[in-house]
Amino acid sequence: MIAQAVFWAMAALAVAGAVGVIASRQPIRSVLSLVVVMLALSVLFLLLSAQFVFAVQVIVYAGAVMVLFLFVVALLGPIRERGGGRLRFQWGLSVLVAAVFVALQGAVLQGMRFRAPSEGVDLAVFGTVQDIGVRLFTTYLYPFELTSILLLVAAVGAIYLSRGVRAGGRSSRPEPASPDHPPARHDRGTTSRPQRGRSG
Amino acid sequence: MAEPGRIQIGAESLEASWFLMLAALLFTLGSIGVLVRRNPLVILVCIELMLNAVNLTLITFARQLQNLEGQLFALMVMVVAAAEAVVGLAILVDIFRVRDVDDIDELSELKG
Repeated sequence: MIAQAVFWAMAALAVAGAVGVIASRQPIRSVLSLVVVMLALSVLFLLLSAQFVFAVQVIVYAGAVMVLFLFVVALLGPIRERGGGRLRFQWGLSVLVAAVFVALQGAVLQGMRFRAPSEGVDLAVFGTVQDIGVRLFTTYLYPFELTSILLLVAAVGAIYLSRGVRAGGRSSRPEPASPDHPPARHDRGTTSRPQRGRSG
Repeated sequence: MAEPGRIQIGAESLEASWFLMLAALLFTLGSIGVLVRRNPLVILVCIELMLNAVNLTLITFARQLQNLEGQLFALMVMVVAAAEAVVGLAILVDIFRVRDVDDIDELSELKG
């Protein structure tokens, strides 16, 4: 009874959060709703005996990645989405497509027959740190190392992108200061605003 | 021994299809968000939602088949999602440094 109650409560919370993600007008509410979805899903992961994934979901995903999103929301300031505009029919059309999609998935799940689980798995250690660690450092060592390279590439790319390149193609690194010419202050607000509104 | 489609938790068992249906619903909601929202930041958030839904599917099948590879793949998806979020947000900040974009349709310079 308890597991069912937990499942339905977390499922309701996740769906409510997902509706909040797509329906709220302000980006910060979308991000906070996504945090709710992630925490609800992490409880479901725990229900499915994925303890390590649960911890990663809470600490890395809901913790770090979402804080990054919040930083960017705070950095960019409040942007209100204009309602309406072009392509107003997108709402109806996408809801229709989504309804068909859900119906198809339901139909697939109705006729689905599950394979029997593999034998001889000790559920007491299934999904623990020990279990995951042994697999990750033996069988899946190569993909594990590839993920570290991927993270390195992403970090370098993010730093390169956010460094900013000025109109002359120079980077925004401050020039070495000389006594009579103090380094020009590259304030991001003043140098780039003139281009605003070009798109019309 | 429970039937294959049910997940035994203590004394009770849950239907694996419930988890899969929930994941499908979340994925669909995320895709609706990508389709109808205009703010590029919210579109990135909706992509994260879809990735999370896929993770739920992977972990459900890992538990149902009692095969750890689903969980390992979910971890890889998390790594890729983190990298995607970092690079996507960096691009977004770079764009917003030049001008304000409140509709992703304004970013059409590459259309030619």
